[in-house]
Amino acid sequence: MAYNLLKGKKGIITGALDENSIAWKVAERAKEEGAEFTLTNAPIAMRMGKINELAEKTNSEVIPADATSLEDIENLYKKSEEILGGKVDFILHSIGMSPNVRKGRDYGDLNYDWMMKSLDVSAISFHKMLQVAEKMDFINEGGSVLGLSYIAAQRTFPDYSDMAQAKSLLESIARSYGERYGRLKKVRVNTISQSPTMTTAGTGVGGFDTFFDFADKISPLGNADATSCADYCILMFSELSRMVTMQNLYHDGGFSTSGITQKVIDHWQK
Amino acid sequence: MSEIAQKVKAIIVDKLGVEDSEVTPEASFTNDLGADSLDTVELIMEFEKEFNISIPDDQAENIQTVGQAISYLEENVK
Repeated sequence: MAYNLLKGKKGIITGALDENSIAWKVAERAKEEGAEFTLTNAPIAMRMGKINELAEKTNSEVIPADATSLEDIENLYKKSEEILGGKVDFILHSIGMSPNVRKGRDYGDLNYDWMMKSLDVSAISFHKMLQVAEKMDFINEGGSVLGLSYIAAQRTFPDYSDMAQAKSLLESIARSYGERYGRLKKVRVNTISQSPTMTTAGTGVGGFDTFFDFADKISPLGNADATSCADYCILMFSELSRMVTMQNLYHDGGFSTSGITQKVIDHWQK
Repeated sequence: MSEIAQKVKAIIVDKLGVEDSEVTPEASFTNDLGADSLDTVELIMEFEKEFNISIPDDQAENIQTVGQAISYLEENVK
C-alpha cells in the first residue's frame, strides 16, 4: 500500500543488483511513495545485474559510479542534480563487498590488501558519499542518509570475517557524520541493522543457510525480509522519522534483544 | 606464446592472485583458479579494457577457461 510518504522527495539509491536486492525493493517502494531518484552501482555490478530493468520500471536513470572514488561520487551527484532538477532528500548506501569472504580466506590468514578493500568499499565509501555531499551542499535540510548494516558489527559470526569490522566502521561513521551533518544542515544519518537476507551479498557468506535458520528461530517475529526492510527505509526517508539520527536501528524481528525464545526452546526439547 | 596469450595470462595472475604455473590453457576460472561470479565478470571487463574490444554477454558466457579466453581474443582482437 502506498501512503505518499515521499511525495516530492528526490534521492539516490545505490546497490540494486537484481530483484532480490534490498536496494531494488527500496527503489520500487520509493517510486510507489512518490519519490524521484537516480540509481547507481559499480560498473561491474551493473554488468552482472539487471539494474536497467529496474530503471525502466521506476522511470529512473542509472549513473555508474565506483563508490570508493571521490571523482565518481562527484559526478554521480552532479548528474543526479541535473536529472532530478535539484538537490536530494535521501540517499541509500547499500554497498558491501569483501574479497576475503568471497575467496573464503580464513580469519587467521586474511589478505590485508583485501581487508583494506573490504573496509573501503563497504564502509569508507559511506564517509566519502557524506563528505562529498557536504562539500557540494547536495542534501536538502532535513535529508536522510541510510546505510545497511548487520549485527556482526556487535556480535561474532565466524563466517562474516572482515565484514564484521566493515560494518562496525560503517555504524561508527553514521554516528560521527550524523553529529556533524545534523549540526550543520539537520541532515540525518542512520544505519539499519537488518536480518540475514537472501540476496546476492547475503548468500555470499559461508554457512548462510545455517545462520539464516538460526536467526529465524531466535527472532520472535522471524527474519525480516527485504520487502519489510524496504518499508523501514521508506519510513526513515520520510518526515515521520525526522528526529531520528545517529542510530543503528535494528530491523531484525527481535533478534538483537532475544536471549532465548520459545521457538528455540521448542527446537531443543525435540 | 602469442602476445595476446601473454597478456591474458598476466591479467589472470594479477586479478585472481594465482601462480603463473597454474594458468594453463585447460584451467577453468571457477573450478581451478578459484574465481567467483564477480571475478569472471571482472576478468571479461579487464580483457575488454586491455584489448579495447567489447565482448557481448552471450559470448562472455562461453569463456570459461584460460584457453577459451585466449582463442576468443586471438580471433576477435584486430
